[in-house]
Amino acid sequence: MKIRWMILFLPVVSVIALSLAVMQHALPADSPHVAAPTAKSAAAAPASNSAGALAIPDTTLAINSDKPMSERVVHYQIDARYDVAKHIVDATEVLTYHNLTGQALDHFPFHLYQNAFQQKATWVNEAKLMGSRDTNYEKWDDKDYGSEDIKSLEVVGQGDLTSQLHYIAPDDGNKDDKTVTDLRLAKPIAPGEYVQFKIAFQTLFPETQARSGWKRDFVLGGQWFPKVGVWWHGAWNCHQYHNTTEFFADFGVYDVKLTLPQFEVVGASGVKVSEVNNPDSTKTLTYHGDDIHDFAWTASPRYKVKEDGVYQGQMGPVQMRILMQPAHWSQAERHEKILRESLDHFERWYGPYPYKTITLVDPEPDSAAGGMEYPTFITGDANWFAPEGEHIFPEVVVEHEFGHQYWYGMVATNEFEDAWMDEGINSYTEVKVMDSVFSPGTSILDLAGATAGEREEQRLSYIGEADLDPLAKNAYDYYNSNSYGGITYGKTASVLLTLESIIGEDTMQKAMHVYFMKYRFTHPTKEDFLKTIEEVSGRDLRWYFNQAVYGTPVMDYKVLRIDSLPLKWYEEPKKGAEKDDKNTVYRSYVWLQRKEDFVMPVDVEIKFDNGEKIREHWDGVSRWTRLGPYEKKAKVESAEIDPDHKIQIDRNDFNNSYTVEANDKPTVKVSNYWLFVSQWLSQALAWWAV
Amino acid sequence: MAANQSLLSSGLGMVGRNKRYIGWFYLLNLTLAEFGVSALRNQLHGILDHSLYSDRMLHGFDAGVYIEMVTRPEYGSSMGTTRPMVYFGLLFFVMTALFLPGVLQGYASTYRLPREDFFRACGRNLWRFIRLMIVAGIVMGAVTGGLFGVRAALLKKAAESTNELLPFSVSMASLVVIFLVMAALRIWFDLAQTDVVLSDQRAVRKSIAAAFRHTWRNLGRLLASYVVTTIVAAIALVVGLWVWMKLVPPASLIGAFLVSQLTLLVLLIPRFWQRGVVVTYYLQNMVQPIAVQPFTPVPLVSDPAPAPAIPSVPPETQAS
Repeated sequence: MKIRWMILFLPVVSVIALSLAVMQHALPADSPHVAAPTAKSAAAAPASNSAGALAIPDTTLAINSDKPMSERVVHYQIDARYDVAKHIVDATEVLTYHNLTGQALDHFPFHLYQNAFQQKATWVNEAKLMGSRDTNYEKWDDKDYGSEDIKSLEVVGQGDLTSQLHYIAPDDGNKDDKTVTDLRLAKPIAPGEYVQFKIAFQTLFPETQARSGWKRDFVLGGQWFPKVGVWWHGAWNCHQYHNTTEFFADFGVYDVKLTLPQFEVVGASGVKVSEVNNPDSTKTLTYHGDDIHDFAWTASPRYKVKEDGVYQGQMGPVQMRILMQPAHWSQAERHEKILRESLDHFERWYGPYPYKTITLVDPEPDSAAGGMEYPTFITGDANWFAPEGEHIFPEVVVEHEFGHQYWYGMVATNEFEDAWMDEGINSYTEVKVMDSVFSPGTSILDLAGATAGEREEQRLSYIGEADLDPLAKNAYDYYNSNSYGGITYGKTASVLLTLESIIGEDTMQKAMHVYFMKYRFTHPTKEDFLKTIEEVSGRDLRWYFNQAVYGTPVMDYKVLRIDSLPLKWYEEPKKGAEKDDKNTVYRSYVWLQRKEDFVMPVDVEIKFDNGEKIREHWDGVSRWTRLGPYEKKAKVESAEIDPDHKIQIDRNDFNNSYTVEANDKPTVKVSNYWLFVSQWLSQALAWWAV
Repeated sequence: MAANQSLLSSGLGMVGRNKRYIGWFYLLNLTLAEFGVSALRNQLHGILDHSLYSDRMLHGFDAGVYIEMVTRPEYGSSMGTTRPMVYFGLLFFVMTALFLPGVLQGYASTYRLPREDFFRACGRNLWRFIRLMIVAGIVMGAVTGGLFGVRAALLKKAAESTNELLPFSVSMASLVVIFLVMAALRIWFDLAQTDVVLSDQRAVRKSIAAAFRHTWRNLGRLLASYVVTTIVAAIALVVGLWVWMKLVPPASLIGAFLVSQLTLLVLLIPRFWQRGVVVTYYLQNMVQPIAVQPFTPVPLVSDPAPAPAIPSVPPETQAS
C-alpha cells in the first residue's frame, strides 16, 4: 500500500481504534446486581437491643481508652444492604436515645439529608441561586436525584408512629423541602429516660453531590440514614440541609452492618468487627464506632488498600487504612506520610487522637466525593498527575480533612450555625501544619521556580470576599457560596494567624490546646472558643473579636507619603558640593493612612539611606498619622507597615510599604513573562493560519 | 528517506542562505509584542515599583503575590491588559501573510533578492493570498471542527471508563491524529501559496488543485518533513524553557530576557524550514518547463556592411 493511503487511513483507523479502546474500557451497562430486600423484609430485621433495658453501650472497642470519652446520647444499630446497580440502600435502624436534656421531650426531629437532592429542595434552590462547589444544576439530570424515605417508624412502647411523621422547614419554610421530618410522640420521654426508635428506610444515592453518592462503580455513603437532631441550648437544633452547610449531631455508639457484593472493597468509620460471606455472593461487614457522631462508608471494586501503617499515638496505636485508586497507587506513600505528619502535629500541639483507626479514602476521579470528613474516615483528592512540588493534591486536602477529626470530629461545633469554627479553625491549623511540614513560603507549591504558601492562599481567599459577611453568621445565610468559602475558611485562618501577632504564637498554640482538651466531645459555642483565648492569653481581646469575628470591617493600611527635606533648605548649595552631600541634615516625615474601618495597632519600620532602621508603633485610631520628624544626615529610603508580615487580614499588602526610589525590576520580570507568552502565541497563530 | 533528507537539507539550506528573513520576522514579532505588553507594563509600574512586597516576585516567583496583584482594582480588568496583546498578535499574523510571498520569492531565487523584488512579490500576491487564506480557513475549519467533534465524543465516552488514564490517553492520541491531519492540510496550502507566488498564478484555484495533487502523491515524504521540523520546534521550546527555569537566576532580568528571546528566535526557524521544504519541492517537482524556441542560426553576410554609428550594448543586455 502506498504511503499516502496509509496516511489517509491513519485518522480513520485511529478514530476506530480509539473508539474500540474507549468501548472496551467503558463501564458495562449492567453492573452486578444484588436483589434489594423489600422494605417489609428490611423492617423485619432484628434490632439488637431489647426494649426492656435500654441503655447506651459503654463500649471502648474503637478507642484507645478504657472508658467512654464522650457523653453518649445516641446508639445507632443499622443493618443495611446496598444495591450497587440501583444505588439504593435498604436498611433498618434501631436508634436508642438518652434524654439528657433535663426536660421531657414530646417530639423528635430527624435529618433526612439525601432528600436535599430533589428539584424543589432548598439545597438545590440555593445551588441555583448562590452557586455551588459541585454543580449549579444548569440542567437537571435524573442522576442528580437522591432520596431518603422512612418506610416505617416504631417507637418502642408507643407502637408504629409512621403516620405521625411530617416534614418541617425550620429555616426557610420551604414546603417542598423534605430534609427534616418531625415526629410527635404519644407520650413524652422524661428526663434521664431512654427511648428507642425502630426505623425501616430506603436511601437512593444521587451521582456524587456534596461528597456523597455514587460515581461509576464507586459509592460514598455519607449522610445516608435518618439522624436525630441535637438538643442544644434548650431547643432542638435540626436545620434543613443547605447548599453551604454541613452537619451537627450527638456523640454516641454506632454498630453498622453493611451487606454488599463480595467483589467490593469497603472502608468505613470505626473498626471492622467481622466480615462474613453470604451464599448469595454478598458479604456482610460489621463495624463498630465509639464516641463518634456520624458513620460513613465507601465501596469500590477497584480500591487498592494500604493498611500496614500504624501510628503510635499518645493513647495507643492508630491503624492507618488507606484506600487508593489503582492509578494513584504510587502516591500511597505520600498519603500515608502526610497523614502521619498530621497525626503527629495535632497530637503534639492540640491533644491526643483517641481512636484506633483512621481510614483515608482516595475517591473515584471526577466524583464530587473528594475532600470530606467523617469521624475516623476522610476522603482525599488525588490526581494521577501529581508532581512532587505541588502540595494541594493530595497533601493539603489530606491534612485538612484529618484536621476535622479534631475540629468537627471531637470538638463538635454546630456546622449549620458556626461553620467558621470547624472549617475556619481547621484552615488555621492547616496553615500551621503545612508550614511546619514544608516551609511557610512553599507549603502548597514549589514547582518550576514558582512558589506559594498556605497562609497567603488563605488570605487571598478572604480578601476577595472581605466585605459582605462576618464570621459569626449562620452558614446558610451567607451572601453566596464564594462569600461562605472566603469568610469561613480564609478569613478565619487569617484572623487567627493575625491573632498570633497580638498574643504571641506560643500563647495561641497553648490556647488551642486548652480549647481542644476542654471542649472535645462537646458542642462548644463561638464564645467558648473566644473566651478560652482570652483566658489563656490573659488579655481582653474584645476590640479584636468585635471587628474580626462579629463584624465586617476591612483592614487596609497604607504608607501614604515620605518626605525628606534638607533642614536648611533655604541655603544655597555650596559650589562644587555634590547633590547628595553626606553632611546635609534632612528632616524626614512618614505619613500613614488607615484606608478602611478595621482599627488595629501596627508596627512600622523606617529605613534610611545610610542603612539605619528604626521601628515605630501606631495605634491606628485616627485615619492618618505623621511619623517624625527625623533629623538625620540621611533621607528616608523606605517605610513599611507590619515589617514582620504578621498581619494576614490587610486587604492590600502592596501599599503597606513605600520606597522613595522606584524599583522597576519586578515589573520588568513580570512583563517579560507576558512578552514571551504574547510572542509565542502570535508565532503559533502565524504558524498554523498562514 | 534520501528524498526526505534532500527536502529537509535543501530547505534548511534555503533558510541558511536567507537568514535575514528570520531576523526581520523576529524583530517584527518582538516589536509588536512589545506594543501589546506596554499597557500591562504601565499597570504593573503603578502597583509594583514602589512596594517592598513586590520583591517576592523578583527573588523567586511567589504565585500568591502575583494573584493578589492581578486582583487589585488598579490592575484593571484582565481583558483590558490582554486585549492589546491579542490585537498585536493578530497584527503579526496579518503581516506574516503580507510578507510571506516575498520570502517564498527569495527562497526560490538563486541570488539575493533585491528589496524592490521582495516587496513587489508581496504586493502582487496580496489579494491572491487573501483568497487562499479564506479557502484554507474554510477547509481547515471544517476538517478540524469535525475532528474535534469526534474527539469530544470519544472523550465523553472515555470519561465513563473506570480506567482513569483512558481519557488522557484518548485525548493525547486524538490530538496527535488532529495534528497530522492539520499538518497535511498545511502542506497542501503551503504548496498552493508557493505555486501562486513562483508561478505568478492569478487563478488561485489552479494552484490549490495542483498543490492538492502533489500533496496527495507525495504526502508521506512531505508529511515526514513537517513532522520532523515540528519536533525540532517542540524540542527547542522545551530546552529553552528548561534553561530559563533551571539555569537563569530568578532575579537575572537580562538573562531571562536573552534566553526567552533566543528561544523565540529559534522557534521561528522550523516554520521557515517548512517553507524551504515546500519551495524545494516546488522547484523539484512542480515548476513548469518553459518551451524553448529552436535556435535557427542566421547565415553571416559575406560582405558586411559598414558598422552603424550606435553605442555598444553592455554584454549583460546582450546575454538577455
